[in-house]
Amino acid sequence: MTGAILFHEQTARQRIASLVDLHSFAELLPPPERLTSPYLAQLGIPVSFDDGVVIGRARIGGKKIYLAAQVGQFVGGAVGEIHGAKLTGLFKAAARDKVPCVLIVESGGVRLHEGSSGEIAIAETMRAIFECRALKVPTIAVIATDIGAYGGIGILSTCCDFRVMTEHGRLGISGPIVIEKWMGKKAYDSANRALVWKTSGGKTKYLLGDADALVHDTADAVRDGISKFLGKSSAVSLASIKARQKELEKRLKKFGATSEPDAVWKGMGVRDIEAASLASGPEFAALAKRGK
Amino acid sequence: MEKFAKAFPSKPLPSKTAKPWALAGVVGSGNLEVLLERGGKPSNAMECHVETSIPGYKAAWLAALSDFAHHYAAGGTKVTINDQGAPPVLVTLRLRQAYDHLIKGDK
Repeated sequence: MTGAILFHEQTARQRIASLVDLHSFAELLPPPERLTSPYLAQLGIPVSFDDGVVIGRARIGGKKIYLAAQVGQFVGGAVGEIHGAKLTGLFKAAARDKVPCVLIVESGGVRLHEGSSGEIAIAETMRAIFECRALKVPTIAVIATDIGAYGGIGILSTCCDFRVMTEHGRLGISGPIVIEKWMGKKAYDSANRALVWKTSGGKTKYLLGDADALVHDTADAVRDGISKFLGKSSAVSLASIKARQKELEKRLKKFGATSEPDAVWKGMGVRDIEAASLASGPEFAALAKRGK
Repeated sequence: MEKFAKAFPSKPLPSKTAKPWALAGVVGSGNLEVLLERGGKPSNAMECHVETSIPGYKAAWLAALSDFAHHYAAGGTKVTINDQGAPPVLVTLRLRQAYDHLIKGDK
């Protein structure tokens, strides 16, 4: 039913249906439970039955997974108390049962209407993710929509073992409009979509190594991307953190002074910028010698 | 916000449905979500609960819901709606989508 729709155009529930094995999804805390945000209700803002995130158990290629998909259309997929508690519980369940956990991200971060409880919820989810990683339970974030992963959810996505992105996906901490507000339009023009995607989009994040796979914008490609990481996990250790810190220092030294995103692409091994701009997914990856 | 509830006479739902509940739509600007569940109290009425961010259109809501209850066998169901300013045609569309999912399943 949903096979033909581009992944970034699907709703959260359609994404789940198109990714997992047929009829394998069992939703946890489904809409009839009516776990809605008490804060939004107090503020006179409409609530949603799932508080903007669908969670549950499913199978991909026969393998058991825990799965969450954020609903970007509902207050930008932002994380409130209930939404965050659902994510925390899911990752904790994944750690308990030693089952990989996949997060289909579509969120600007914490929901400002319930800021403090949202922040706490993100912190608790991060702790649960690291619980998974300590037990070598794979955690995978899929970032494939133009709402992307920003703020607390940007941080949370990078806490996972792996990130699967499409060229539509964006990953960052402060969103483009926030950066423009603080630094001025000259420093960063949030209306310049080419600039925004070349600094925080999936292709650039793949070049820099922040994304582990770059796939086409279809459910099949995303599923293949997830499947590759289901059996793996990357351990967190002092050595791995130090190595990462070194990489980031190198990146800052190499690109810290440039204001030209193409310089970053060139520096990361893209020879033909125009061809790379038009390419997508694996074709783009083939045009770049990442990190060399 | 405006909140109201009303039951509308409707023919009883078929005794077998694919699912115990169905959801259609998303709470976003100009959109709404409709949760349709089996197990409403009288089997010859559709019980409706509406919460909308746009007050003042109760008459239009009641007309749309009563029309749906008249045309579909939805007796013994409970309809709960979270709305963020959807136009009446969209309300009808989502009700029909939810009904379709309830009877036939998602696929």
